[in-house]
Amino acid sequence: MGWEEWLISTIARALAYGTPLLWGTLGEVYAERSGVVNLGVEGMMAIGAFSAFAVAQSTGNPGLGILVAAVAGGGAALIHAFLTVTLRANQYVSGLALTMFGLGLSGLLGRGWEGVPLKHPLPAITVPYLADIPILGPMLFQNQSIITYLGLVLAVVLWVLLYRTRWGITLRSVGESPATADALGVNVYLVRYLAVILGGVLAGVAGGYLSVEYRPSWTEGMTGGMGWIVIALTIFVAWDPVQAIGGAVLFGALYHLSYRLQPWVAPELLKLMPYAAAIIVLAFVGLGGAQRRRGAPGALGVPYARGEK
Amino acid sequence: MRRSLKIAAIVAAVAGLCTLGLAAETVKVGFIYVGPIGDYGWSHAHNVAREICEQNFPWLETVYVESVPEGEVETYIDQLVRQGCNIVFTTSFGFMDGTYAAALRYPKVILAHCSGFMRAPNLATYMADFYQVYYLNGLMAGALTKTGKVAYVGAFPIPEVKRHLNAFAIGVREVNPNAEVHVRWIYEWFNPAAAKEATEALVAEGCDVFAFTEDSPTVVQVAAERGFPSFAHYSPMYDFAPDYVVSGQLVHWEAIYLDFLQKVHDGVYTNENLEHVDYWWLLSQKAVEVGAKPGMMINPVFEDDLKAYIVDHPVFGEISAYDLVMVRYNQMADPGVTFDPFQGPIYDRRGVLRVPEGMWMSVDSLITMEWAVEGVVGPWPGEP
Repeated sequence: MGWEEWLISTIARALAYGTPLLWGTLGEVYAERSGVVNLGVEGMMAIGAFSAFAVAQSTGNPGLGILVAAVAGGGAALIHAFLTVTLRANQYVSGLALTMFGLGLSGLLGRGWEGVPLKHPLPAITVPYLADIPILGPMLFQNQSIITYLGLVLAVVLWVLLYRTRWGITLRSVGESPATADALGVNVYLVRYLAVILGGVLAGVAGGYLSVEYRPSWTEGMTGGMGWIVIALTIFVAWDPVQAIGGAVLFGALYHLSYRLQPWVAPELLKLMPYAAAIIVLAFVGLGGAQRRRGAPGALGVPYARGEK
Repeated sequence: MRRSLKIAAIVAAVAGLCTLGLAAETVKVGFIYVGPIGDYGWSHAHNVAREICEQNFPWLETVYVESVPEGEVETYIDQLVRQGCNIVFTTSFGFMDGTYAAALRYPKVILAHCSGFMRAPNLATYMADFYQVYYLNGLMAGALTKTGKVAYVGAFPIPEVKRHLNAFAIGVREVNPNAEVHVRWIYEWFNPAAAKEATEALVAEGCDVFAFTEDSPTVVQVAAERGFPSFAHYSPMYDFAPDYVVSGQLVHWEAIYLDFLQKVHDGVYTNENLEHVDYWWLLSQKAVEVGAKPGMMINPVFEDDLKAYIVDHPVFGEISAYDLVMVRYNQMADPGVTFDPFQGPIYDRRGVLRVPEGMWMSVDSLITMEWAVEGVVGPWPGEP
């Protein structure tokens, strides 16, 4: 086995494992860009995973399952938006509650769905012609998910929207200084609602990917902490959708390598590797932050009340 | 996290009163589970057994609590005793200290702890162990591998998993002396994503037959996607890959629960004579079964391959892998057990003689096994 084999399997697995992280992170980036932290990603993913599985299993249509997961995730996020934007509840508390709610609800509804294989999972795709390219083919174009490719495209689209369009400026201004945006005639509440709901939609898809493609089956608690990795990744990638690709793939690669390298490095140490990387980068972000907060929205985590100082 | 989230544990009480409507003979039993009953693994299997007990005994009433954090088991025992339970089963190794403490505080209540070793006059222990089954699975795996590399995804490097892995490797090498068993640890009982990536890592390593210890069918699914045979663990996983699951390990906790409860009901077991009651039930007591679903020991898809694989066996001479599995199964499943996978001489992979020629291991040495047999490749934390 040469280095090519290592490279191929590492990148290919990094994309597969990184896909739900990418979708979740893109959603959280948008929510936080509007100034709302949503710690409920894990819960929204769990709801997405269950609803996608239930729908895909009963209709035989995994695509519809993903769609319903998106709606369900968005619905869950709507609760967070209502609590934090309209009622101005503490964003951290509300997000944690949403995580507990999502895990609990999906576990409850999921009774009786566990232990059955999904009859029609989302098929893995191999891109014609491109898959035959040496090294690059097996690395990027064999047995990957359509959700993976959609995620990559979405990241670029969201980047363009954020940095190159009027909508993006509006979103960022709401996250930086809602009072200023409000004074300029921006509907702060509406923008925040939409951003938070989009975050939920994308987290829902991330969960759906897990249950109709990555596994594909349902078990209670199957999100296994990915939602928390998403929260860390959002900071890690400096709230930038394109950097989110790099973050998700890097995390996926470290995860894969933590199993490949076990014969040579203590498994306990490897198990820590992805998380240690996250902590190190967060520390660097903190150190470098004095000059340039690396994209952290100015009003992040602060509820906005019109007319209050 | 998931467990502690369930602060309000769901307690379901189903009243199975005796047919005459008289509750005088009723035995009320509480079950404490470490995971959610939806895990499709350990806790799920205990709960299936609980339901079977309730159907079998009209005088039995059961309640259960799921997702109980290991440190809080005493509080939950208190709660069940207050609800009137005369018997409490605690079903996780980590519940041991709490269960023992509760046994001392409630001398009138009968307790039984699964997979531990602390006993008291009113506290028994019980375990249904898979090592014989893993050995039989190993015989099949050794015959089916073409690359000579068999994979094992392990949960935690603790004696229980090491014992199973060693038994599996002994089986593999009995039919295929040069084969290796490659191991990866995921450090979780339940984590589908970790199991998937560990499997992928072993695929990349060149392994082509898969066995595991993790509470989800992930390894079976991933192996099937790649076209590789695998062995199911704990629950019936045949349906997840009917063309690729060779066999597996199935548990029948009800065998133990039915026996124990019947003896309590008959007055054989009381709160004063459990000090030496330790169920260590295997194939011959029918507490465990070989197969990926009940009643199917070997998937017919693989029968021809196993019959065509001929071994030159030191005891049986020329014998097919299929016949060897059957012979060994009968030796272990018949009430007078005449064979054990850990029959000496057995050397560990560092060359130390662990079981002398002709000897078997005691239960105590089985449940404290830390070494790795020859043929195991990969990390082995805690290796002596």
